[in-house]
Amino acid sequence: MDDFEKQLKDALTKKDPSPFFEARVLGAVKRQALEHRASSRMWWASAFAAVLLVITGSAWQHERTIREEAAGKDAKARLELALKITSVKLQRISRKVEGI
Amino acid sequence: MPGQAVGTESEVDNPEPRTFASVLRAQQSMVFSIAYHFLRDRSAAEEVAQDVFLQLHRRFDELKSDQHISFWLRKVASHRSIDYVRKQKSQAAVGLDSVPMPSVDGEPEDHFLNRRLQSLIGSLPEKPRMVMILRYQEDLMPEEIASVMEMPVRTVKSHLQRSLAMLREKIDRSMGDVR
Repeated sequence: MDDFEKQLKDALTKKDPSPFFEARVLGAVKRQALEHRASSRMWWASAFAAVLLVITGSAWQHERTIREEAAGKDAKARLELALKITSVKLQRISRKVEGI
Repeated sequence: MPGQAVGTESEVDNPEPRTFASVLRAQQSMVFSIAYHFLRDRSAAEEVAQDVFLQLHRRFDELKSDQHISFWLRKVASHRSIDYVRKQKSQAAVGLDSVPMPSVDGEPEDHFLNRRLQSLIGSLPEKPRMVMILRYQEDLMPEEIASVMEMPVRTVKSHLQRSLAMLREKIDRSMGDVR
């Protein structure tokens, strides 16, 4: 290293930041940590709400399917009854017609 | 969690275990000086240095040794400083020669020469300027600079040679027999 390079080294000696720098960084770090905590709490709240929504939606869908199946069975039973009644009536009419 | 390590005075005074606060205290002048010699603006340098330490805090648990932390800080400080200049190019171009210089103790002639050198280094293009700062402020070898700057060693050597030649010529021209 020649004299010129030593002079360069001298010109580029380390400097200290202002005396408040350290405290300012530590303050910013605390703020960053608080913001991170708040945003992670928000994330968990959103995730919980989403899970709750999915569970409620699934339960509602399941309930609706059961109700529709019951209504379908009921309708089927009524149709079968109506067909049975119709069949009985048609047999009676058929017997009467045969008797004429 | 690095946040738990930050804080109390007793933690800072005790060298073991390593805490974010102790690293901040030990490395603040290195990080600040890289930014300051590059930007030649105290408040901009403090802004960049603060961003570097905030980023360090987020990754504190991943960096296992002091050596790794120093390397990481140099690397991030260098890249952040270059990014800062790129973002604020027009303001920085206006500000380079008008920024007041910090007071430097010593002989008036040395003081003048240092200021002149700092000003000339500040006039170098971004990458050669950072290479010069890492070489003469941080005393890094070209291989280490190449690793920090993510560039080939040949490029680092070429930046150093060309910058040195240019600075010598300008100093010779402007100061005659000062060397």
